[in-house]
Amino acid sequence: MIWLSWRQFRTSALAGLIALLAAVVPLLLLGIRLKQSRRSYLASCADAVRCADALRQYAAEHQNMLLFIDAGVLLVPALIGMFWGAPLIAREFETGTHRLVWSQSIGRRRWFTIKMLVVAAAVVLAVSVLTGMLTWAAGPVDTAAGDRFTTIVFGARDVVPIAYAVFGFVTGAVLGLVMRRTVPAMALTGLLVIVTQFVVANGVRPHLLPPSHETRAMTASAINELRGLGGLTNRPSVRGLTVPDAWVTSASDLRTRDGRTLDPAVFGACIAPPAPGSSGSGSSGSGGTFGAAADCLGARDLHVDVAYQPNRRYWPFQLIESGLLIGLAMLVGGFGWWRIRRR
Amino acid sequence: MSTEALRATALTKRYGRRTALAEVELAVPPGRIVGLVGPNGAGKSTLLQLICGLIEPSGGVLTVLGRRPGADPAAVGFVAQDTPVYAGLSVGEHLRLGERLNPRWDAALARRRIEQLGIDLRQRAGRLSGGQRAQLALTVAAAKRPDLLVLDEPAAALDPLARNGFMTSLVEFVTDLGASAVLSSHLLSDVERVCDYLVLLRDGRVQLAGEVRDILARHSGGLEEIALGYMTGGPR
Repeated sequence: MIWLSWRQFRTSALAGLIALLAAVVPLLLLGIRLKQSRRSYLASCADAVRCADALRQYAAEHQNMLLFIDAGVLLVPALIGMFWGAPLIAREFETGTHRLVWSQSIGRRRWFTIKMLVVAAAVVLAVSVLTGMLTWAAGPVDTAAGDRFTTIVFGARDVVPIAYAVFGFVTGAVLGLVMRRTVPAMALTGLLVIVTQFVVANGVRPHLLPPSHETRAMTASAINELRGLGGLTNRPSVRGLTVPDAWVTSASDLRTRDGRTLDPAVFGACIAPPAPGSSGSGSSGSGGTFGAAADCLGARDLHVDVAYQPNRRYWPFQLIESGLLIGLAMLVGGFGWWRIRRR
Repeated sequence: MSTEALRATALTKRYGRRTALAEVELAVPPGRIVGLVGPNGAGKSTLLQLICGLIEPSGGVLTVLGRRPGADPAAVGFVAQDTPVYAGLSVGEHLRLGERLNPRWDAALARRRIEQLGIDLRQRAGRLSGGQRAQLALTVAAAKRPDLLVLDEPAAALDPLARNGFMTSLVEFVTDLGASAVLSSHLLSDVERVCDYLVLLRDGRVQLAGEVRDILARHSGGLEEIALGYMTGGPR
């Protein structure tokens, strides 16, 4: 049965191998280039302060390009589910060959289990090589940026992508078993995998371990470090709050000293642009991103409550999330195993 | 081989409200080639799927070779309708598949048969003619050395010459293996040629069952005439 599973998978495996080589060779070159770039940045700095600055510039130069590659790697689980998973059993139904293979002496469940394990092994192998290469190539930039927890970076490094790929593959295969048609199963697999990635990254990951909390005083200078204030309405929200060496999972709205949310009317008055014709002297305040608004809010003794995950939790998070997805994959696979007997 | 090939007692299969088989009673002795005939929708495929253990009966009892259907998958060889094969695998790889997946596989028998048919082992199954494909499917089913061969409309899509070759192979295999066979067909001429036991279904009920020579002795006319009479409106 292992022989048959492999024989049937051979052509898809070859296609996968070609795609893998097409990704691994450029990643190898990229890794070498990123190491050289780091050396040349460091060669020109004299003391620790300037070197830290150089490293920041180095990270900024390459981060966007890496995010692009990470986004591509995030698509790999969906692609594997669609092209290796969905056709695996649906094709048998479409060609009627399930009736040939199910009338051999091997049980249907055994047939299903071995087929799944053979391809799952190939999935683990291929994705390990891919993410191993990316993790290595991006290593210097990730270290310089001190950023391993951003949604996209986290999902494309170390073991998490392997678990997603296994989940994608199993989902595709079982959807093919249930739907019996390759193309609809492929479409639904792609959709489901991407939705799962989105929901887990945004809704589940922040709560995998109880977050740490911190109260941050919002002085004028703290406000000027933000990326955004408020939204379309006058809700006193903040965006882009950072905690050193940590991933901020949520930040409250601006709060007053007694812990209540700042009155939107007060907030609105602070951030409203000065009326034309009023004295222009104070309108730009003490300068900075938010100008007078920062001064106005900073004077009110405001704070926000932040929840964050320290960067040292990176590995626990990788392992917990991988375990979660492998568990999901086993549930889906177990459903297929149960279902195939009843066809 | 004294156990009956098939025994059905009040065997019933319902799909929702539709009754595909109703209170079927059968007792088929071993070593027969059973022809299962009847108009479309009479329940032939349902009965074959029950025999292979692919579906469960809604009522009654069916035993195959004295056991529950599907209890020993090695004992029953099944050739599905349209004789599916893996288009991308070669003929030789199909034999290898059979060898890997069946404990009682008779490699010599399979090879001998393919050679007799003049089929190249390296040929991809997708490029075989319809007749060769059917022969390959039959060979894979027979080389697992089952005690019962089940064939669902195996020759329906074949031209007369290929059908003739297929039926000849079937009889040879059954004789070789000392097995029984059940084949559904709406080609009464095929049934008349190779079957020595007839089961005629209409509307999910057995209208006629028995040894072909007994049926011929009890009725006037040829088997085809008799069967048509039963299919269109009961015994004359």
